Amino acid sequence: MTSKAEFLGRIREQVKRAPGRFQASSARRPQHPAAEAETIRRELAERWPETLEAFRREFEGVAGVFHRVASIDMVPAVVFRIAHERQARELVTWHSAALGADLAPALEARGLDVQQMPAAEPVGTAERERLRAAAARADLGLTGVDLAIAETGTLVLVSGSGRPRSTSLLPPCHIAVFDRTALVESLRQVGVFLEAWHGDGRAPSGGASINFITGPSRTADIELTLTRGVHGPKEVHAIFVEQPIRG
Amino acid sequence: MSDAELATPFRQRAGGAMKDTFLQEALTIATTKFIDLRRDAFASFPEGEALRDQARAIKEATLQHLDQHLETLIGNVERLGGHVHYAATSAEARSIIVDIARRTGAKMAVKSKSMATEEIHLNEALEAAGVTPVETDLGEYIIQLAHERPSHIIAPAIHKTKGQVAELFSRELKRPAEPDPEALTRIARGELREKFLQADLGITGANFAVADSGTVVLVTNEGNGRMVTSLPRVHVAVMGVEKVVPSFTDLMVFLAILAKSATGQKLSVYTSLVQGPRRAGELEGPDEFHLVLLDGGRIAQIDGPLREALSCLRCGACLNVCPVYRQIGGHAYGYTYPGPIGILLTAMLEGTSAVKDLAHASSLCGACLDACPVRIDIPRMLIELRREVDDKKIAPWSERVAFKLMAKLLQSPRLYRFAARSGRLLQRPFARDGRISRLPLSFGEWTRTRDLPPVAARTFQERWASERDLRA
Repeated sequence: MTSKAEFLGRIREQVKRAPGRFQASSARRPQHPAAEAETIRRELAERWPETLEAFRREFEGVAGVFHRVASIDMVPAVVFRIAHERQARELVTWHSAALGADLAPALEARGLDVQQMPAAEPVGTAERERLRAAAARADLGLTGVDLAIAETGTLVLVSGSGRPRSTSLLPPCHIAVFDRTALVESLRQVGVFLEAWHGDGRAPSGGASINFITGPSRTADIELTLTRGVHGPKEVHAIFVEQPIRG
Repeated sequence: MSDAELATPFRQRAGGAMKDTFLQEALTIATTKFIDLRRDAFASFPEGEALRDQARAIKEATLQHLDQHLETLIGNVERLGGHVHYAATSAEARSIIVDIARRTGAKMAVKSKSMATEEIHLNEALEAAGVTPVETDLGEYIIQLAHERPSHIIAPAIHKTKGQVAELFSRELKRPAEPDPEALTRIARGELREKFLQADLGITGANFAVADSGTVVLVTNEGNGRMVTSLPRVHVAVMGVEKVVPSFTDLMVFLAILAKSATGQKLSVYTSLVQGPRRAGELEGPDEFHLVLLDGGRIAQIDGPLREALSCLRCGACLNVCPVYRQIGGHAYGYTYPGPIGILLTAMLEGTSAVKDLAHASSLCGACLDACPVRIDIPRMLIELRREVDDKKIAPWSERVAFKLMAKLLQSPRLYRFAARSGRLLQRPFARDGRISRLPLSFGEWTRTRDLPPVAARTFQERWASERDLRA
């Protein structure tokens, strides 16, 4: 077996021998990403309606379904309508702390069968298995959103406590709830946030998986015929809440 | 491709492909569609050209300090609780992964689409070790059931009709299947969902790895990349050493152009940034994370003639625009990586002798260079490969002698004039209506698939000389 020292040694030797093909440098990283991310947020707070409109256009362009409500207590009604139209009952949701609001009572009151994900890792593997089975069985998955990218119509979700990866993956219908604080304009700005989360800023959670979701799961592997919902959700809904969710 | 298939000369494989009318139609439809989608995506993205230049610069800058970036990556993956392995060869990579499977008692491995694991022929090794590998990308799943190899980097099963897929599903899955893409996809979803939930091992490649945060980046449209990195208890990612980028800022430059080049999407549906195993407080994610760094011939090219090919993103754009690929498809190339870039990668991974015919499977038209998101000068390297094939005497002797004679002829005006005169004489029996469509003996090889223009009644040199005399 090749050892690390041998392997890297070979690379080092080659790198030393190879003259660069041309003068080149990697992308310039922000000096203080957290501060720059804060600036981006502040500037965007001024023009969020345009950013939201751009997001809506792109999100619908990738077959996402966009909804808009005034406040967070109107979200359960939208979720219920989506469930009702699909004759769906079972819903898994991120924990209320991760969502920013406790929607479970209102959803249950409307007759949905709600499984809320725990705020912290459950002790036993049996419980983990049970929750995974619930996510695999569920018709709907309800999550929050860490960033919504206007340039591409993308939802960025960071995994962590109370925000499992499967909620946005296993159910055939994913419903994501967000407000203006999640909006960013461009992929370049997302780079600043990623640098900030990794560096001097605060990450939205301590999870090991960050997922960019741009519309429903799709494939064109059979005769280039576009087909949705091959492994991930067949439908993705984004509910925009005008009043900031966390007040 | 099997050794038996490789034993067939390239020309026969290509000839077979060109007689396959379905394949011809499928290739034309697919590549034309991809070309249009890519063109539209960049047409509405004015900053695209500048980003392509920047992406190229980042790749070059990273190569100039590849050792340091890899050390940073390794340090960060280990800090996050992951394990890093070093594979000089495909065989080493296979045995590392088989060992992980054995040690963790894995019975089934779910795989998301990965050219690196195709390259190392991992599935055969897993099967031999009693681990069932399941390809989960729909296209890869289809060709796994059919015991074939991918024919396009991003659309592995474009050579199959829905009818063929339906037949395949009915036979292999023992259930009725209608020849309808929607219905077939639903069947695959059901079959594979079970596997995702049962599998112990998740195996992926890596589109990128971000050094300064120890992040492996996977880009998929189906969501299988997310399944494979979230549900099984062990995740193994296999990546060529050249896939590392320094920072998230660099990563975003590549994400902005990758999907546009591949499928014309602004972003693929899922981009997953995976940072080691499941963390405290997380419900899901693997207990173990392994990163296998693969050499396989790449390292020697850092200071080699194929260095530039180390920038390849595996987007497939050069396949779609290549007049040769569009005629013969991926299988005829005979190795893991088809198309213009595939010839270079095959030379890199298998050695120059593997491409003695393939090096000529290009018209050097330059369409690949235009389409490449990081502007890899593929034609330049193909010419260099041809020279190497000749220098190392890998090419057949007849070809080498013919080109030597040609070179002599073109260098000496006296010989050239003599050859023109004798050519005019010798061609008489064969020239008809201003072209030669059949030559005798082994020269017939040339005219088998194309006409040869005859030597003109008066060559340019002769006309030039007499015009000059007249004016004087």
